[in-house]
Amino acid sequence: MLSPTTAEKYLNEVVKVPGIRRMVVNGPSLPAVVPYGPARGKPNPNSNRRTIKVGNADMELRVQVGTIVFEVEDTSVIEKIREVSNEFFKDINFPCQVQEGKFMKTSPTLADYCKYGPDADESVIGLIDPKKKDGPIIIQGIR
Amino acid sequence: MAYKPQYGPGTSIVAANRRKQMDPTHKLEKVRDVTDEDIVLILGHRAPGSAYPTAHPPLAEQQEPDCPIRKIVAPTEGAKAGDRVRYIQFADSMFNAPSQPYQRTYAEMYRFRGIDPGTLSGRQIVECRERDLEQYSKLLIETEMFEPSLVSCRGATVHGHSLRLAEDGMMFDMLQRCILGADGIVRYVKDQIGEPLDREVAVGKPMGDEWVKAHSTIFHSLVGVAYRDDAEYIEYIQRIHALRTKYGFMPKE
Repeated sequence: MLSPTTAEKYLNEVVKVPGIRRMVVNGPSLPAVVPYGPARGKPNPNSNRRTIKVGNADMELRVQVGTIVFEVEDTSVIEKIREVSNEFFKDINFPCQVQEGKFMKTSPTLADYCKYGPDADESVIGLIDPKKKDGPIIIQGIR
Repeated sequence: MAYKPQYGPGTSIVAANRRKQMDPTHKLEKVRDVTDEDIVLILGHRAPGSAYPTAHPPLAEQQEPDCPIRKIVAPTEGAKAGDRVRYIQFADSMFNAPSQPYQRTYAEMYRFRGIDPGTLSGRQIVECRERDLEQYSKLLIETEMFEPSLVSCRGATVHGHSLRLAEDGMMFDMLQRCILGADGIVRYVKDQIGEPLDREVAVGKPMGDEWVKAHSTIFHSLVGVAYRDDAEYIEYIQRIHALRTKYGFMPKE
């Protein structure tokens, strides 16, 4: 799993690839307060949870970055992502795997219906936890 | 002929390490120095230097019922003093940690007295009288059964044993109880349950890939010794499996 500094560097490399429509940064959660156990409710200082700058947007990490899912416009973009990723992780001598498949929700589920209603914007479906109050982060103007 | 325990089958290094940890006559290799006060801080059950809170009066001061078992079994120091029962819990990474829950329970049952271990898939807890616990914890942390980056003391929020390791080689910990410093030394900044400590507790440097592979008690086909490579272990487990399956039919070998 990546440190925030490496994640920031990698994401800044990969967002330069044209044709990425949506992106989910995933991994095990790093909550701001201890969610359960005897120390429940106490602050949880953690050097892996900080705000990183990707492209022109500030992104507050809530997870330790382990998996990044990209939704791309066509299959040629996958090859470019693979190239950038292999190059980046070869330099820092860290293993990486680029898999192709359908890893993101594309049509609204019941939870999405509850949150967004009947006319949900397809570009936000499957991006965030429906329980979370805040929306997705928009990265633009990098091409 | 006197019975000589074998502790476990297997010809691989993993099997040998398992036997080493279980055999109480084998002195575990001491790898690091952690002071008694540091252990108390990591455990987080009492303030260092404070008296042990008690659950009952010392055995010498109270009337004991007339019981043949009590005459046979000598109480441990903690039981004698009437200490509270407290715990230490470990999470061991699947990436070649030097011990793992089942192994810990076996080893502790052979080595320690007056304990109540709890074995789960990703964590192992051992409960006993506080005074005894501190001694046992010292052994568990100072010897080859502990590795600063792959084993950690986690009273709660243990998630991480099955996750990939972080870039710096540390096992994931949501509460980040221990941090790998720039000088390469792992330091606890929070106690077992995630309460911040007044001062950092150093538990030494990660031991490195070679040491970890030589001291692992986990079969892992990708990062260590594959289970299938140990023919003796396979034979043993298949025999146990067959006998258990046929148990109701009174198997005769």
